[in-house]
Amino acid sequence: MLTIGKVAARAGVSIDAIRFYEKEGLLRPAQKTEARYRLYEEAALRRIRFIKQAQHCGFTLAEIRKLLELEKGDAASCNDVRNVAIAKKLQLEHKIKTMKIMSQALSELIGICDDETKPIEECPILEALETSITKYESGVW
Amino acid sequence: MPDPRGIGNQYYEIRERCVVIQTEVFSTSGCGECAKVRARLKAIAEAMGHDKITWHDINILDEMDYAVALGVMSVSAVAIDGRLAFSSLPSADTLRAELTKRLSA
Repeated sequence: MLTIGKVAARAGVSIDAIRFYEKEGLLRPAQKTEARYRLYEEAALRRIRFIKQAQHCGFTLAEIRKLLELEKGDAASCNDVRNVAIAKKLQLEHKIKTMKIMSQALSELIGICDDETKPIEECPILEALETSITKYESGVW
Repeated sequence: MPDPRGIGNQYYEIRERCVVIQTEVFSTSGCGECAKVRARLKAIAEAMGHDKITWHDINILDEMDYAVALGVMSVSAVAIDGRLAFSSLPSADTLRAELTKRLSA
């Protein structure tokens, strides 16, 4: 059995993270001592690696919980997990698309500021942002 | 003066005028149950007339950019005339009602 400190050290996460995973229903200690210290089995290390890897792929803790439920359930198949992964990829691609548009908007703003010596009150970037806000508020957009 | 776009384009123009609705169904391989549902939906569209409704099955993984452009967020979705119409596979009745509504519009 491993104490929470040992699990944290071996898995490369903080003790608080382990407590948080427990609160989110992702990880449970195998048992608690009479003094209420948490004790974990080796499987906890695999579970934490799973959580970290899924987070690297963009899954939220709530989504990771669903993945773990799929893993436990008898009715689910590998294809169900694949569909969750595809849906996540679609979500990420949407975000990438939105961020590219934002990046392009910034490029345009940077492009209009061709004189670096202008005083702050004549800054065309701030002016363009101000105009955008006015347009938005007056319903032109 | 002959149409500079040529006879081929005229054919497509006539065809476009006849084909009223374009239906695109996004999905992935590997889901037997979804394939059955799709087949039932396709049969409904086909029964309404090949000349009125076209049906394209699209593998979401092959056309990810297009799916994202349409706003598809799940593995099964239906676009009609280039716009996302259903974010998951609709029931047979729902699809029939939607297509009927569009045909009579």
